[in-house]
Amino acid sequence: MKKALLTVIALVAALAAAMLPGARAEAKELLGAGATFPFPYYSKLFDTYNQEKGVKVNYQAIGSGGGIQQLKAKTVDFGGTDDFMKDKEMAEAGAPILHIPTCLGAVVITYNVPGDPAIKLTPSLIVDIFLGRIEKWNDKRILDVNPGAQLPDMNIATVHRSDGSGTTAIFSDYLSTVSAEWKERVGAGKSLNWPNGLGAKGNPGVAGLVKQVPGAIGYVELIYAVQNKMPYADVKNKSGVFIKPSMKSVTAAAGVAIPDDTRVSIVNTAAKDGYPISGFTWLVFYKEQNYAGRSKEKATDLANLMGWILHEGQQLAEGLDYAPLPAEAVKKAEAILKSATYDGASIVQ
Amino acid sequence: MHTSHSNIRLRIIKDRLFLALVVLLSFAMIVPLLLIIFHIVKNGIGVINWEFLTALPRPMGETGGGIANALAGTMMLIVLASLIAIPLGVLAGIYLAEQKTGRIASGVRLCMEVLQGIPSIVIGIVAYAWVVISMGTFSALSGSVALAIMMLPVIVRSTEETLRLVPDILREASLALGVSYARTVLKIIVPSGLTGILTGILLAIARITGETAPLLFTAFGNPYMSLNVLKPVDSLPLMIFNYATSPYPEWHAKAWGAALVLVVFVMGMNFTAKVIAKRWKVQF
Repeated sequence: MKKALLTVIALVAALAAAMLPGARAEAKELLGAGATFPFPYYSKLFDTYNQEKGVKVNYQAIGSGGGIQQLKAKTVDFGGTDDFMKDKEMAEAGAPILHIPTCLGAVVITYNVPGDPAIKLTPSLIVDIFLGRIEKWNDKRILDVNPGAQLPDMNIATVHRSDGSGTTAIFSDYLSTVSAEWKERVGAGKSLNWPNGLGAKGNPGVAGLVKQVPGAIGYVELIYAVQNKMPYADVKNKSGVFIKPSMKSVTAAAGVAIPDDTRVSIVNTAAKDGYPISGFTWLVFYKEQNYAGRSKEKATDLANLMGWILHEGQQLAEGLDYAPLPAEAVKKAEAILKSATYDGASIVQ
Repeated sequence: MHTSHSNIRLRIIKDRLFLALVVLLSFAMIVPLLLIIFHIVKNGIGVINWEFLTALPRPMGETGGGIANALAGTMMLIVLASLIAIPLGVLAGIYLAEQKTGRIASGVRLCMEVLQGIPSIVIGIVAYAWVVISMGTFSALSGSVALAIMMLPVIVRSTEETLRLVPDILREASLALGVSYARTVLKIIVPSGLTGILTGILLAIARITGETAPLLFTAFGNPYMSLNVLKPVDSLPLMIFNYATSPYPEWHAKAWGAALVLVVFVMGMNFTAKVIAKRWKVQF
């Protein structure tokens, strides 16, 4: 038995020695963390990038808030967020932070009504349903917008996120934009005091609950509704057109004037073909890259990655049901990337 | 005469009823376990093949890929955590077994009981504050520190309790022959309780293998193969968590497969612990 024990110890020691750093040449690595919604897109993006450029980008989907937190703690090279950093958050970060948009997302309104009829919704209907004011699917106001639809005499059960989420932020941002009453009573943010309805955790939780409860209505990211083959409503936009959520209508929603720092909410878009409950998702990093002992190589790797996402990376988005950036956003983002520095000198020429 | 006869029959019936009830409840107790195993095997067995165990994960939209990075990461975390926790835990356990009273001993005992009750997510945050922040990066090491803290109470307690069971006559005989106290402890008492100590270690490993919470902000995760202790690594529970909450059925299937691998590993640990305890037990 003594011999066995010695063998075990020797084996463990050998394993430990093999794991020590410096044993082999280190591959180039970048570390990122943040938003969960674009994670599948990023996983494809970074895998392709590793194959083409030999840089391993490790992105962990810990949520938008977590990503910003880790960037500030300087434990990651970049963060990811669905909710752009407000001026106050930027000030807390200690140094200027750049936002690079990577793709667009949409929040769709999914429902469980027997027969899966196609449903159209107006902003005021959405507000009143989620405020609990419209209680039946065959309410006259719903039927007025959906003439001829077979809507049953069934109670409406609203489903919302119980956890803090970027999805809720986009959805409530939209509702606050279209309804002064919503803004006052519920407001906008990652987590809210909902007036009524059921709570569920994460996009999968909401999708699951809507599927289980007849008469339920909830909001999820477009990709979850598509993947789970759930019906989702057309929504009337600012121009008065009913828009089906799709990659195309989401990209169209971003076809508005974009500020130079790309920090903009595009809910209730003025674009005629744009789906109104859409939003950008961003990668964020420090403008001055020489901090916490970072090397110039790392800064260059990071800038190269961002440049690649803005061009080659965009082509990968559509295959995964993500809406690519409109041309104007790409142009603005390029200018932002050029402003990134190492020791005050521009990284990208 | 008649009454006493029926009385006995009544007693026999009662006895039978209680026996049936006890057997029934015992079976009811294992039903949840069987259901869990059945469910995991049913959903997970389909994706398990050689590629699943040896390949790196593929991104969404591509078929194939596996969990090799998570397997390697989990192994690395376990080995590192054991390297930290076993020496500390066993030494503390020996001390507590030898020093039955005293302020330090009761203090250590209390600390271990409190440590056992601390939620694993809190331990993860502590490891984040200690190791990740001060090193400036997520790493396998920080995850191992968190797991080692979780292993400690299990190892300390099992070591102490096993060594307490070693009969005093062994110690007395050794000391009477002129063997020094230190040698008595190391050569007589510890070897006599070695099976118990090993069992405790294996149970501690089984306990930490399935932990996700302490790894979220320490080991962090990594889709690539990494054997560097100072870099982030993936682990099976973390991978299951990430895949299970994704929108894709392919990833759900992989989460089930990874869950099956994890359950088999943990059950193997528990089983080995049982075998060791039975086979190698020193008879007094």
